[in-house]
Amino acid sequence: MFSLDLFLNALVAGVLLGGFYAAVSLGISIAFGLLDVVNIGHPIFVILGSYAAFVLNDAYGLDPLLSGVLFAPVFFLIGVVVYQVYYLSFERKGESPLRGLVFFFGLLFIIEVALLLKFGVDYRLIEAPYIGRSIHIGEVGIAFRLLVPCVVGLLMTLAITQFLSRTFYGRAIKGVAQDSLALRLMGIDPVRIKTIAFGLGIATASVAGALLIMISPVEPSIGRAYIGRVFAIAVLGGLGSIGGTLTAALILGIAESLTATFSGPSWSLAVSFGILLLVLAVRPAGLFGR
Amino acid sequence: MANRIVVRDVEAGYGGVRVLHGVSMHVEDGETVVLLGTNGNGKSTLMKCIMGIVQPDAGEIFLEVDGRRFDLAGRRPEEIVQLGVTLVPEGRRLLPRLTVRENLLLGAYRAEARRDIARNLEFCLEAFPVLAERQKQLAGSMSGGEQQMLAIARALMSTPRILLVDEPSVGLAPILVSRVIAKIRELKEKRDLTVLMAEQNFNQAVKIADRGYVIVHGRIEFEGESTQKLAEHELVRKYYLGL
Repeated sequence: MFSLDLFLNALVAGVLLGGFYAAVSLGISIAFGLLDVVNIGHPIFVILGSYAAFVLNDAYGLDPLLSGVLFAPVFFLIGVVVYQVYYLSFERKGESPLRGLVFFFGLLFIIEVALLLKFGVDYRLIEAPYIGRSIHIGEVGIAFRLLVPCVVGLLMTLAITQFLSRTFYGRAIKGVAQDSLALRLMGIDPVRIKTIAFGLGIATASVAGALLIMISPVEPSIGRAYIGRVFAIAVLGGLGSIGGTLTAALILGIAESLTATFSGPSWSLAVSFGILLLVLAVRPAGLFGR
Repeated sequence: MANRIVVRDVEAGYGGVRVLHGVSMHVEDGETVVLLGTNGNGKSTLMKCIMGIVQPDAGEIFLEVDGRRFDLAGRRPEEIVQLGVTLVPEGRRLLPRLTVRENLLLGAYRAEARRDIARNLEFCLEAFPVLAERQKQLAGSMSGGEQQMLAIARALMSTPRILLVDEPSVGLAPILVSRVIAKIRELKEKRDLTVLMAEQNFNQAVKIADRGYVIVHGRIEFEGESTQKLAEHELVRKYYLGL
């Protein structure tokens, strides 16, 4: 049963969801798209970010966005350590990326279990004054708990894009997977660049996690649902293109929202894998791919 | 500022295969020195030794800046670049999926070059008008000649004390080789560069060289004090001039 109101509402919710998905996918776009590091464990860092926001909110009533930003440097350091371990155990030895995949998959489960032991299986949520509110434009309702993540996601994407194109580190990050010897011949240490970039990717998970717990309650295993999404977005957007990631995130958000509205929420998870398969079959380079 | 580079009794190779057997040479401030040799005689290996890509098994390589000595053997390529030695590598090694402008800006990563970035960029875009027109184009989508120009310009962005150029003529049509060589000469005059160039195209190389070395099977077989003396030497006449 189709109605225009329903469609418009679903469309707007999809766009808002897309902005949030962009925030979740940034880390994958950097690690997988720019560094050739298949960090399949990225979603669990997002969940970790959610729990960080939850703990501070629960104890001190701290705004989730604030804790997302506060924890970003800590997450950056976690990323630095994770990359160093990955580099020393796999990349430096020239191991195939497939083994790295196993490493990150293992990391995902270890962190998930750790969270489970610490916080249990209960859904956790946070409180902030704006979370329950919404604005209405005609028949279309815009919930703040979706609007805020979308705006923050867009800002974060913009910030990363600017960083990559305007700074020495940023340009080096964009080039590091293309030819690391060429970088060394310009006086750049590629391992250092990759470490910084990976740390940056994990730092985005701190903010993305805070956004996630704003949108819906969180328990340790829901990160798995995001593995398909983030890879679908990274591949659809085209590896190495942050602008492509944003476009792809919006497309997936809208597709999921429309599917959930008209066919039921249980189908929405299938959308991301459907898109992933379709892109790999039709245009493996993605929308803006290399 | 006086810069010179000295290579003394260098032995180097890959695994069990020795490529350089006691090579000694030097490049003095403001000179353009050409290293002549056909494929497989060790030109590139010597360049790689100077840059720290290949570590010598014996001998010494050092850079002198105003009398201060920096040993290059044992240092990593990125450290050597930071000291002011920049290589235009064989095969150019541009970052194909970055734009021309991004490639140039990355060339200025070296700490000492960053303050000169505006001046260097202006100089490069003026010296290479084709790059100015194509700043936003992906480096990988340019022709071979244009890519070689970009590789040279990118190296200049690092304000090198010593510029190494490894076989700029490889893969280029003769007319483009002439243009690239003419451009290196022009840059050398404008910027007072100190250049070491490896090349197998003798006729092109002598157009810009002050003097040169002929390397055969990993040994310096002849040291020519002038291009005139190089051209007169029997090895050069036999192998490079076909006389």
